[in-house]
Amino acid sequence: MLIGLAVLALGSDLPMGRLSMPGAGFVPTLVAVFTILLGGLVVIGGRASPPFSSLDWSDSRHAGTIVLTTAIGVTLYTVVGFVITMGLLLLALLVVAERRNIVRATVFSLVIVILVFGLFDKLLKAPLPSGPLGF
Amino acid sequence: MEGTLDALLHGFSIALKPGNLWYAFLGCLVGTLVGMLPGIGPLSGISILLPVTFGLNATQAVIMLAGIYYGSQYGGSTTSILMRIPGEAASVMTCIDGHAMARKGRAGAALCIAAVGSFIAGTFGIIVLTIVAPPLATLALRFGPPEYTALLLVGLIFLAYMSSTSLVRTLLMACVGLMLGMVGIDNLTGHFRFSFDLPALGDGIGIVPVAVGLFGLGEILSTPSARLQGEVIRPRLRELWPTRAEWREAALPIARGSVLGFIIGIIPGSAHIISSFLSYALEKKVSKHPEQFGKGAAAGVAGPESANNAASTGAFVPMLALGLPTGPITAVLIGALMIHGVSAGPQLIDEHASVFWGFVASMYVGNLMLLALNLPLVGLFANVLRIPYSYLYPLIIMFCVVGVYEVNHSIVDVWIMLVMGVVGYGLRKFGFDPAPLVLGLVIAPLFEQSLRQSLIMSNGNYMIFLSRPIAAGLLALCAVLLLLAAISAISARRDWRGRLAEATEERP
Repeated sequence: MLIGLAVLALGSDLPMGRLSMPGAGFVPTLVAVFTILLGGLVVIGGRASPPFSSLDWSDSRHAGTIVLTTAIGVTLYTVVGFVITMGLLLLALLVVAERRNIVRATVFSLVIVILVFGLFDKLLKAPLPSGPLGF
Repeated sequence: MEGTLDALLHGFSIALKPGNLWYAFLGCLVGTLVGMLPGIGPLSGISILLPVTFGLNATQAVIMLAGIYYGSQYGGSTTSILMRIPGEAASVMTCIDGHAMARKGRAGAALCIAAVGSFIAGTFGIIVLTIVAPPLATLALRFGPPEYTALLLVGLIFLAYMSSTSLVRTLLMACVGLMLGMVGIDNLTGHFRFSFDLPALGDGIGIVPVAVGLFGLGEILSTPSARLQGEVIRPRLRELWPTRAEWREAALPIARGSVLGFIIGIIPGSAHIISSFLSYALEKKVSKHPEQFGKGAAAGVAGPESANNAASTGAFVPMLALGLPTGPITAVLIGALMIHGVSAGPQLIDEHASVFWGFVASMYVGNLMLLALNLPLVGLFANVLRIPYSYLYPLIIMFCVVGVYEVNHSIVDVWIMLVMGVVGYGLRKFGFDPAPLVLGLVIAPLFEQSLRQSLIMSNGNYMIFLSRPIAAGLLALCAVLLLLAAISAISARRDWRGRLAEATEERP
């Protein structure tokens, strides 16, 4: 419902046009109204659903660690390049999220990153972002 | 018919070129691996590898990407049988009797029945596709904007009706997808919509970041690695051949699964999952020994595995002939063709005959390749299952980031993927199916354009949808489906969709 209302608000400056010549705001408004109606039906039917507290959130910490680590990786990706960012991303996920042995994790990350860099950059000719060191 | 055979022969001359054979093999191999590995499905596999196809021509690209799709249906059964973990959602039902057979020392036989059933069903599906798609495309050439609007509505309503979650929730997800699809420049007037002055959003939100986020990253976030540690039963090569009794038990379920799967495959929805569930229920119902189901019945492997393969082929009929995606995977494949300047739909067969027939012929070859990959090499593939998931998913995340970035070299796309990953995690928690969202996103431009063109054609009169027979017929079908769903909701009857939801929720 909130998404529908947001679309209605954001699209208020778009021309609606006439039925015989619908404008850019016509279909988004139509879909937003349907979204609000359907959202309302989900809210009404929500009484029959299990309570929020009964949902299993035991995996949320693990998921949060992955999202945070990946977000840092995305921020660095075009700044320091593929090799350093992805090497650190793999290492962080293995050591921080999965509590794997740091030596094994480092070797794994290095080998994988070099292989993938070779695959994309040399074999598939699909250039990957490079950092200040040129890779 | 003669014309179809000539065209098919032309297709084989394309599919059998060494370069195309290589990409078919690569697709089948990656598909088998993607199907086997829990936590990565065909959709994320296809999405991640989409940028790799940019250097290929349209035929090679679609041959490889489709190979991943139907290859994953083969691979999913291996994990189900050897580990009792469905490598791919469509293999949920195979876990039950496939793993029970493996526990009895019949792992090889179960794998063989699954592979042969998949091969027969896949080949049957391609033969019907070869016969049905060209006349259907000819019929679709008569479609104007009102017919397309009605057809897309039928697709959405069918998807909602067939969904294992509620109709309202599925339609809600589709509406959210439609709204996401309206971000960017309006094709008819040139207005910028919901782009927040970000140039990267001017072209709209791409299907790849959304699909990879929802299905690749979202699946990883919802799959804690600790849940995926399991014992792998190693099949012995000499035990691969089923006994005569097992073949007899599997023969009819393979035939029934092939027909049932193909029909369901044509209908929008998660056809390959639904078909395997319905096939299992059907086999249990018609069996003389229903008590054997759950304890290692060969029919419980043969039926669902054949059905999910036939369904994956059936899904190509509306995709190729009508340009209508019946699910997120065919939606991504349509997107892949569009990137290569080829539009799926009625004009495909006439305007890009080499792409269409080369692709159809490659599926015959691909099915043979998959049989060879999945039988003698199954022991080798079983070793892949020993790679700990905790080492696997960081790799998948890396490929998600690289794959999404490489499509447009846009970091905004990667952020969209990350946001969609979190959204996908949340949707799964609250029991929403993310597939209709992707479908809505893909059909949004076509839906909006055909709806507005219809209104322009009729000078703003909505009766245009009821005065044209095909559009009126399709809208009547929508009304019937909505009525059936309403009756089911009011009487609170628990039908096959409720049981499907339970079965898929049991996935780890």
